[in-house]
Amino acid sequence: MKKYFRVVKNTWEEILTYRLSFIMWRVRTVVLLLSIYFLWYSVLPKNATLFGYSQSMMLTYILGTSIMLAIVSSTRTYEIGEEINRGNLTNDLLRPINYLLYKFAREVGDKAMNISFSVIELAILFFLLKPPIFLQTDLIFIFFFLISTILAVFVLFFINFLLGLVGFWSPEYWAPRFIFWMIFGFFAGSYFPLDILPETIYNLFHALPFYYLLYFPLKIYLGNVSLPEIYQGIIISLFWLFAFYFLANLVWKRGLRMYTAAGR
Amino acid sequence: MTRYLKLWYRWSVYSAEIALQSRFGALLFVIGKFIRFGLFLFFIVLISHRVQIVGGYTLWQVIFLYATFNFIDTLAQFFLREVYRFRYYVITGEMDYFLVKPVSPLIRFLFGGGDILDFPLLITSIIFLVFSAIQIGPIDSIHLIIFLVLIVNALFIALSFHIIVLVLGILTSEVENTLWLYRDLTAMGRIPIDLYKEPIRWVVTFVIPVGIMMTFPVKAILGKLDLGLILFSITLSLGLFIFSLYSWKFALRRYSSASS
Repeated sequence: MKKYFRVVKNTWEEILTYRLSFIMWRVRTVVLLLSIYFLWYSVLPKNATLFGYSQSMMLTYILGTSIMLAIVSSTRTYEIGEEINRGNLTNDLLRPINYLLYKFAREVGDKAMNISFSVIELAILFFLLKPPIFLQTDLIFIFFFLISTILAVFVLFFINFLLGLVGFWSPEYWAPRFIFWMIFGFFAGSYFPLDILPETIYNLFHALPFYYLLYFPLKIYLGNVSLPEIYQGIIISLFWLFAFYFLANLVWKRGLRMYTAAGR
Repeated sequence: MTRYLKLWYRWSVYSAEIALQSRFGALLFVIGKFIRFGLFLFFIVLISHRVQIVGGYTLWQVIFLYATFNFIDTLAQFFLREVYRFRYYVITGEMDYFLVKPVSPLIRFLFGGGDILDFPLLITSIIFLVFSAIQIGPIDSIHLIIFLVLIVNALFIALSFHIIVLVLGILTSEVENTLWLYRDLTAMGRIPIDLYKEPIRWVVTFVIPVGIMMTFPVKAILGKLDLGLILFSITLSLGLFIFSLYSWKFALRRYSSASS
């Protein structure tokens, strides 16, 4: 296990080496957050509700997406496709490590850095904007919020891992990832809570994994979900977790059979 | 001028051939752009439908603003896509080859090939622009002319920003993140800048002129922009363009050809 902690630390140090690049990335995240924040701030007056949300609930949700994106969506799996296509995967295969754990350790290093920055950014934004914020005090909701967030981290990791494995079959491994992230932003609810959608679309989203990656944990934090709904959501998240885990393992094994280390 | 037009055509043909080498990848890329365009449009319609007036704009006015943003953004990308490849030229030293050719290196690095993959979205933006303009109601010709002038003005600002990105590319070898930061900042113009709170509104209007680029043309066509602000926009755009040209000359003198 020690070696994977070393990988986490190395990833952290690697990010610090390319500081400017990382800071630019974080600035971009804040810029996007601000545009959505102000859109909701403007359309939702202080004492009014819209789509069933008060201003404080909505702004908590939007600011919450910032920290959730740092926890759930920051990833290093984009390297996989390139490693396969350049033949660099061979180096990792020859090492006495589990490739999946190695990639997850890199992911954890990346997430740790993103979360640290996200917390600082939010502190600055709170100081500057003084937004009306909803603070959850019920420990049950906080507990299930944490559980659903951990599940979301694993589900998205396996999805991202699978997207990287496209590299075994095609040099165009970046294109499916590009489309996935286009869809993720909306389907996971990073711009708005999904329950503002028309009911039929919302019910359809319920069955998709995106629903459980961002929206579901935040909705639990806001306390807008009943306990039976939370249990149901956790079970569906577990289903998606196992489904993507098995699929990732299957595709990895099939891909390795195809792998020719071309490019080296 | 004709020589450069012929060159641009040739560069664009080569660029299209490269982009279409993998038809599948190109198709997915175009689909991704449409998904981004469509989903944000859906989001805007969803809100505007419920709120009626967003920051003083009606639904069709918001759609018109979104179409204007996409038109300016996509047109700038269509012409200036080569800037995305600039870092490679700097770090490999390949930039030297362009410097010795009898073609302006600045023009080569800016307009080194139109991006055919932006073309479908460009056409879609124009369709949305025309359709939403019709829905807004009668637009008098003076306002239409000012709108077109301010669109050209916005493209000049985009051009100046891309020159500054090239300058930073030479001085720091950092291009990609700067470009994406520029893209994200301009994306703040997808919604009317009137929605932002002070001092952010002031910053996105006058410091990072996103408002001048994206919202001012729409305000002009709606008759909500006074002459002083129109003149200010043009002056700022010219000033920025001159500054970017001077910066380019300054950066070229510092180019060390380190990796060649």
